[in-house]
Order: sequence, then structure tokens, then C-alpha cells
Amino acid sequence: MAASNAKCTRLTGSLVKQLLDSIDSVLFDCDGVIWRGDQAIPGAPDVINLLKKNGKRVFFVTNNSTKTRKMYADKLATLGFNASEEEVFGTAYCSAMYLKSVAKIQGKVYLVGSNAMKQEIENVGIQTTGVGPDPISGVQIDWANVSLDPEVKAVVVGFDQHFSYMKLNRALQYLCNPSCLFVGTNTDTRLPLEGGKAVPGTGCLVKAVETAAQRPAQVVGKPSNFMFDCVAKQFGLDPARALMVGDRLDTDIMLGTNCGLKTLLTLTGVSTVADAEDHLKSGCPNRAGMVPDYYIDTIAELLPALQG
Amino acid sequence: MAGKVGTRGCKKIRGAQIRDILDSKHNVLFDCDGVIWNGETVVAGAPEVVTLLKQQGKRVFFVTNNCTRPRENYVQKFSRLGFTDVVEEEIFSSAYCSAAYLRDVAKVQGKVFVIGCHGVQKELQDAGVPIVEDVSDGPDVSIYNFPLEPDVKAVLVGYDERFTFMKLAKACCYLKNSDCLFLATDPDPWHPLRGGRITPGSGSLTAALETASSRKATVIGKPSRFMFECIASQFDLDPARSLMIGDRLETDILFGANCGLDTMLTLTGVSTMEEAQQYRDSDASEKKDFVPDYVVETIGDFLQALED
Repeated sequence: MAASNAKCTRLTGSLVKQLLDSIDSVLFDCDGVIWRGDQAIPGAPDVINLLKKNGKRVFFVTNNSTKTRKMYADKLATLGFNASEEEVFGTAYCSAMYLKSVAKIQGKVYLVGSNAMKQEIENVGIQTTGVGPDPISGVQIDWANVSLDPEVKAVVVGFDQHFSYMKLNRALQYLCNPSCLFVGTNTDTRLPLEGGKAVPGTGCLVKAVETAAQRPAQVVGKPSNFMFDCVAKQFGLDPARALMVGDRLDTDIMLGTNCGLKTLLTLTGVSTVADAEDHLKSGCPNRAGMVPDYYIDTIAELLPALQG
Repeated sequence: MAGKVGTRGCKKIRGAQIRDILDSKHNVLFDCDGVIWNGETVVAGAPEVVTLLKQQGKRVFFVTNNCTRPRENYVQKFSRLGFTDVVEEEIFSSAYCSAAYLRDVAKVQGKVFVIGCHGVQKELQDAGVPIVEDVSDGPDVSIYNFPLEPDVKAVLVGYDERFTFMKLAKACCYLKNSDCLFLATDPDPWHPLRGGRITPGSGSLTAALETASSRKATVIGKPSRFMFECIASQFDLDPARSLMIGDRLETDILFGANCGLDTMLTLTGVSTMEEAQQYRDSDASEKKDFVPDYVVETIGDFLQALED
């Protein structure tokens, strides 16, 4: 797979139109790319809407597991984006797809996660148990002897503000059975909230369970290929004519590189150009995938080429 | 450097061999869980062994990562299980040593935010280390809006059955300040309970907080040297005349190696002879420190050696 010779190039001038003409689909990360919390990045709605007007397909690929596709579609609409449910690929939906079509679960899921995850998983016909507060009671020996639902075939961990020792314990008890699957939505260390604050992310909860159970989770979210596969399967994408736009080198850009997409780093979020250049200079093959083809200060800089 | 690398060989010993080793040692350090007791069941002969060792002029210490109870409760447990002459000063738990570290080594000026059970909090209080009070949050407190105490100069994480996402979020905020210390009582990912069951350990909670804060905790408990240094600061210990007896290769035996002690694995707990042999036969040089010098079935086997 030949990568372009020039890497980490500022996307400016005629390059913008050149790039847009070479692609049919654009995949956008959400947090730090098209919105921050509950505020759209200025110009972002126009970018998406104009891309579609210009005949490009647009998809939204996010590791954030706290919303269903419907909830994302509502948020997109509220912020002025012309988008539909089918174009959204969040990890709540993709985890459900994974459990149904890859893991082919016959049975229930012990879910450490949000109501959104519960909805998406139950939408594909898989029952869940465990969502909501779960405080400790009794003494230590009781916890090892918590009653386990024999129909549970997988433990799934997503963002959960009700995470507690008892949930960690239940997850561990299920995972003591080596045939119980272990799925994590993503490994991001921080979760941006509406309103701009950030709190510890799902990665912390997945790490806690991985440590107690002494085995790794199967991770659905970026940079795992599965998120792209989900989109490609439903929409028949040609990776060579697709662009991944993201703000994180270790998730968005890595996913793009791994799946053979062109990659564009936007600087309205987490990663910086200096980070990207560090990866480039390192010469380390593991880090090469995190170097974007292009970077841009904000996706609003695509507007002139789209409006022209 | 004890110069024992060549002879580290999992030597299974009994009878006169045990006597010869004990004769050469002045200090015997015992782990507790899986060595002298399992839950509330004493390992047969353990109380008599401790008494005989003391009668023969040896000093006996108990070095445990288990931070779930304060030292005074350990004294009661020893008494309950038939040990007639164990005093508080001989007991070194990771909670006690964490408090000692904060007070005497770090000399922390300010408060400590504790993620820990009653056992941990009591040891800090007994050592006179000010802690942030563990009070329930009011109804208007959420992940979007939570209060922080001023003047928090250290975060200590240990086993906490009341662990919640909120505690993780608060600790992460305190750790944003690089002057705020980050300590963990012990690294154990899980603890064994009766009947082969396990429960999540301090290590799993520490992993969550390390992931959230992108910082590494200073770990007080085995295999870190600090607990040995804590004992040595109160009693005059010559490592060459000290023996560490434990049941967990990755904590007790590695601890012994790190401190220059001879090590003995007892098979009444977590690790097996096969696991010890695997480390011995491994090509990786760092695995050598996981190999015990000696192996016994149970410390009850000391009786025959001591009574002769």
C-alpha cells in the first residue's frame, strides 16, 4: 500500500480542490472536529452540507458511546448539520453490530455502560443486564459469590458514570469463565462532555477490568478497523477514494492509515502539528500510521474550495 | 548484590534442609494471605512455627499488601487464628507503610485525597496524615459539576469497595497538578478469596487512575522496596541474614530479590511449582528475579525442622 511521498502537508491553496476531487466519501470524527461539547465548530455545518451538495457522501465516526445513532442525528440537526441516522457510526451502534454479526452472541451481555448502549444492543435483539447504579453491599466473600446470570455470554464495557467497584467485581466474576467474551467500546482516556469539560474516559474503565481479569478486551472503536468496516459494508466504500478527517493522531489518523484512506488532521481538537511531526521524525514504523497526509487549522478552511 | 543468581533454582526442601536455612537467618519475613492463613483458616502449624522461631531468637515480621484492615485489626485476627505472641509492631501492611511514606518520606504538607477502604483511611489517620473527608456527595453533584478541596498535595489509591466514577474523576483533577503526589498501596490486580474465587484488587483501580491522569503511581507495596525500607528504618535488618517467605512469585519473591533477601515460595497460596519452574527456565533475564531460592509445601513443614 503506497503512501503518498509527501506527508503532513498543510492543506492549502489548490491542494484543497485537488484533494476533494480525488475522493467520493468523507468520514468525520465528531468531538474536536465538527463540534466541541454542544457547540458546532464555526463553519462546520456549511462544510458538511456543501460536501453533500457537491455529491460527496459524508459519515460520522465517533468513539463516544454515550449516544445512540438517533441521539447523534438529533444533535447534528440541532447544530445545523444536514445528516441522517444512517450516516452515524458511534461505538454504541458499532458494538451492537460487532456482537451481532462478528461475535454472533447467543445469549445475554453484562453491560457496563450507558442507556444508549443498552438501547443499541437490545435493538439488534441481544438482551443486556447491569446498566445503572450498582452500589456495594455485604462483605468481601459476598462479592465473589454474586449471583451470575448463566445466560451472559459477554461482558461489554463502555462509558459509565455509574462505574463502581461492584460493577468491576461482577465483570470480573463473569470473565473468570474463559469462554465469556470481553468487548470494550474504545480506549480513549478522556471523554469530552457537553459544556466543554472532560472527565476520565472509557479507556480507564476498560483498563480496570482488563487488569482485574488479566486479559485484554476486544476493542471496537478507532483505531480498530471495525469502525471503518461497519461503514464500508453498508455503503460499499472505496478506501482509495475516501478521506478520514480527525483531531486525534492515535485514533482517527491511525484508523485512516490502517484502512487505506487519505487522512486529514484538523487542529481544533487534541493533537498538534508538532505531535504529528514528532511521529514523522521518529522513523518508527509503529508511529508512521499516525502521521496524517494533510493538516488544516479548522475544517472551515475547506469552505472556499467547496463554495468556488 | 547477594550473589545468588547462579543458585536461584526452586529448590524443594524439607526437614534438615529447612533447619540449615533457618539457622543462617536472623530475620524471617512472612507474607500473610496464602502463607500463614487463607481467609479465616489458619495454615496448619503456622502459629507454632512463629512461636518456635521467636523462641530460637529469630525476629519475625509480617509483610502484607492487603490494605483492607488497620494493624490493630490484624492483631485481633492473629489472636483469633491461634497466634499467641504477634504484636502490632511486627505487622507491616501496605496501608501502614503508605501512611509512613506520606508522613516520613514524602513529608506531605497538605491533605491527601484517598481512594481506599476503612483500613487505608484509619492508618493515615493514626499516622496523623490529614485526609480529605470521605463524605457522600450532595444531590446536585454530578460529573458535570463536582467540588474540589484546596490544598490536596497527594492522591493515594488502594483497595476500595466504595470506588466510584466520581472518585476517579476527582482524583484525576487533583493529579493535573504535577506537584501533587500519586501513590498506590499495592499493585495486586486481584485478591484470592475462599474457594478459589477472586475479587478485584488495588492494582485494577490504580490502572484506571493511571490511564485517566497519564501518570504512573509510586507503588508502596511488594514488589517495591519501600516496605522493606520501612521495616529496616525501625529495626536493624541485615538483608543477608533475612529470609522472605511468600506465596506469590510476582509480589513476594520479586520483593525479596529486589531487597537482596533469600526467598522461599510456599505452595499453600497463589503460585505453583510449575509457574516457578517456568520462570526459572525462561530465557528472559528479568524473569530470574521471580524464581524463589527455595520451595516448601507449607510452612507447617518448619515444625519438624524447628522441633529437632
